[in-house]
Amino acid sequence: MLSRVASHLYWMSRYLERAENMARILDVTQSLAMLDPSADSGGAMTPIVITETAEEFAATGLPATYANVVAFLAWDRFHPSSIRNCIESTRENARAVRGSITSEMWENINDTWIAFQETARNTDPLMTGNDFFEWVKERSHLFRGVTFATALRDQPYHFTRLGTFLERADNTARILNVKYAQEAPDDFQERSDDQADYYRLSAVLRSVSALEAYRDTYRDTIEPRRVAEIMIFDAKLPRSLRFCMDETTHVLDLLPKDSGRIPRRIASEINARLRYGTVDEVLSYGLKRYIADFLHDMMRLGEAVNTSFMDGR
Amino acid sequence: MSIAMHAIKMPPAHHYDEMLIPSSASAISTRDHYRSYFQWLNNSPEQTLTQRRAQADLLFRRIGITFTVYGEEGGTERLIPSDVIPRMITADEWDYLERGLTQRVHAINLFLADIYHDQKILKANLIPSEQILGNAQFQTKMIGVNVPHNVYVSITGVDIVRNNDGKYYVLEDNLRVPSGVSYMLMNRKMMMRLFPELFLQQSVRPVEHYPSLLLQTLREASTIDNPTVALLTPGRYNSAYFEHTFLAQQMGIELVEGQDLFVKDDYVYMRTTTGPQRVDVMYRRLDDVFLDPLAFRPDSALGVPGLFEAYRKGNIVICNAIGTGVADDKSIYPYVPEMIKFYLGEEPILNNVPTYQCRKPDELSYVLANLKDLVVKEVHGAGGYGMLVGPASTESERETFATVVKANPSNYIAQPTLALSSCPCFVGAGIAPRHIDLRPFVLTGREVRMVPGGLTRVALKEGSLVVNSSQGGGTKDTWVLGA
Repeated sequence: MLSRVASHLYWMSRYLERAENMARILDVTQSLAMLDPSADSGGAMTPIVITETAEEFAATGLPATYANVVAFLAWDRFHPSSIRNCIESTRENARAVRGSITSEMWENINDTWIAFQETARNTDPLMTGNDFFEWVKERSHLFRGVTFATALRDQPYHFTRLGTFLERADNTARILNVKYAQEAPDDFQERSDDQADYYRLSAVLRSVSALEAYRDTYRDTIEPRRVAEIMIFDAKLPRSLRFCMDETTHVLDLLPKDSGRIPRRIASEINARLRYGTVDEVLSYGLKRYIADFLHDMMRLGEAVNTSFMDGR
Repeated sequence: MSIAMHAIKMPPAHHYDEMLIPSSASAISTRDHYRSYFQWLNNSPEQTLTQRRAQADLLFRRIGITFTVYGEEGGTERLIPSDVIPRMITADEWDYLERGLTQRVHAINLFLADIYHDQKILKANLIPSEQILGNAQFQTKMIGVNVPHNVYVSITGVDIVRNNDGKYYVLEDNLRVPSGVSYMLMNRKMMMRLFPELFLQQSVRPVEHYPSLLLQTLREASTIDNPTVALLTPGRYNSAYFEHTFLAQQMGIELVEGQDLFVKDDYVYMRTTTGPQRVDVMYRRLDDVFLDPLAFRPDSALGVPGLFEAYRKGNIVICNAIGTGVADDKSIYPYVPEMIKFYLGEEPILNNVPTYQCRKPDELSYVLANLKDLVVKEVHGAGGYGMLVGPASTESERETFATVVKANPSNYIAQPTLALSSCPCFVGAGIAPRHIDLRPFVLTGREVRMVPGGLTRVALKEGSLVVNSSQGGGTKDTWVLGA
């Protein structure tokens, strides 16, 4: 398989996953804002902090309101990770390798792109609503479904999945970091009675589709320590760090072994820490430090994937 | 038969229409092979056609069957309009065309092998040497280079038109990187999806196996067993990118760009996720001059440095071969019938458009005396530049052009203006005749192969003779009927 093709497939699915995650973050932010319209602009800026785009947002000169933040992250042409640009990049990468994916996959992506342009023409960015975020999520789900149902289980499929899970792990870690670690009380052991805290934590869970999973798993009230546990260590939750890294190591094992030696090693190291770690260890080490380490390791892994498979020696 | 369903505009009396026979009577008569289709058409409400055309547009857009229009922002994607009324060719006519095409392409391959080796045809004085050796498309680097099985042109797209005398004429032999075959295949796919009843009612010869014939042809171009074949594309901003991806996928071969390839020790390799992999046959969709910056244009970023050297040494086969453009040049076109006689000892089956070469004094004086009825073209010109369309010109334009031709006669050829047959199309205002041409695709491997028919291009503007997709042209499905 061509190195360039591997790279396009990997970025195609990374960008789509990024679009979906952005929609999730904005969706949750917006519903929190509706709970308490009088809240200060700090909450509105959370998505900007998660995506590390404070500088770019400041450059627009717009006041930090929910509406402006959403317009910026969903629609801005100059913000490389806006939903608009993520969908365009997904489609451009897919188009570059449309012969290497199934026609159903291509038609699905192309459809999304065509419908997106239509929506873009008819939407006032400042009035972006929940239905738009739902639509983005749904298109992303559909694409994964089409991929699952039609793709030959071969290298193109594996690279597509690799992109999905690396991007997803990265995103879950960022949400945890910002929406949780930054705002959480010092003592994680303590059960929270604060109602605002309940909404904040359930929003975090909801942004990674984990609220129902949480209830099923713990059958108890929402508690900060368990939120960290389920999002980091749960092997059954599709957006947890553990799940993403299980998948990543598995996918890397299916790719050419000789070329993939270094990424496989890094992924296995990360995965081992998730398989054999506990939430208590993480909290005593410091959640913020733990997430920072994790994001750093993920960056190393991304670089290794690139060098090993996509540089084309 | 009444025609309650559709407003059908009749072709003018002096035109040749593929379906309808112009007559003064109130009833419309059709050619025999269109009879059952016409009956179906009359029984289908206009709404059906409108609906299915909308369905077709949607499918084409969804599948992304587009071509790129060059211009601002690196090009925009456009759909090529596909008409829902098929163009039909009888079994007998196709048989004739197939024999003629086989003969013609065979002779052209022999001609190319000859001019890059012994140059017998020049020694026999059938073509003036300077016409070949001084031609910009003649690649001196190819002299003495051996091409496996002497197949220079593996893929040919021959442009054929039918004149108002009812006869077919070859307009142009496209021997470099002819395109359009994907539209032929998609048109058929779409028609079968939209009008299954028509395919049940009438036997239409299939075309869907073209990619497998093409793959077989490309494999046969190599001398080794089980060669690795790749398709070289200039990339996704090229106007024919859809076709490149489509063909590569249909054949199950890699679609490569210049950056995916490198040459080491005069062998060509692809960069893959498992390291370098050798390429044995390259179906290139890139012009000669861009192939190798070391051998041709040094500023080409699309090609592969060292490719030509690997090619010269026989370590990779390039299809079509380098230097085939010399044989589809307008100045060489008039000699194709001569080639057929010279190399094959046969009479040409297909007609050439009569061509006057202004470098010959007697033909020059004929041209100058008949400018009003002729199309005069520069021999190396393309895209409609530097030409005079006699019937559409003014007196003063003709005078100016005559001066230019007299100053450099050998730079010009002239041809009578062809009428181009028409075929009814479903246009905004109902059904109306539009001019069409035909591009069959001829494959040369160990033998010559082709699928019945080809791409029918349509000049969608009323009265227009320009079928190019960049200038408002469309396409329609081409049905060669079963015997």
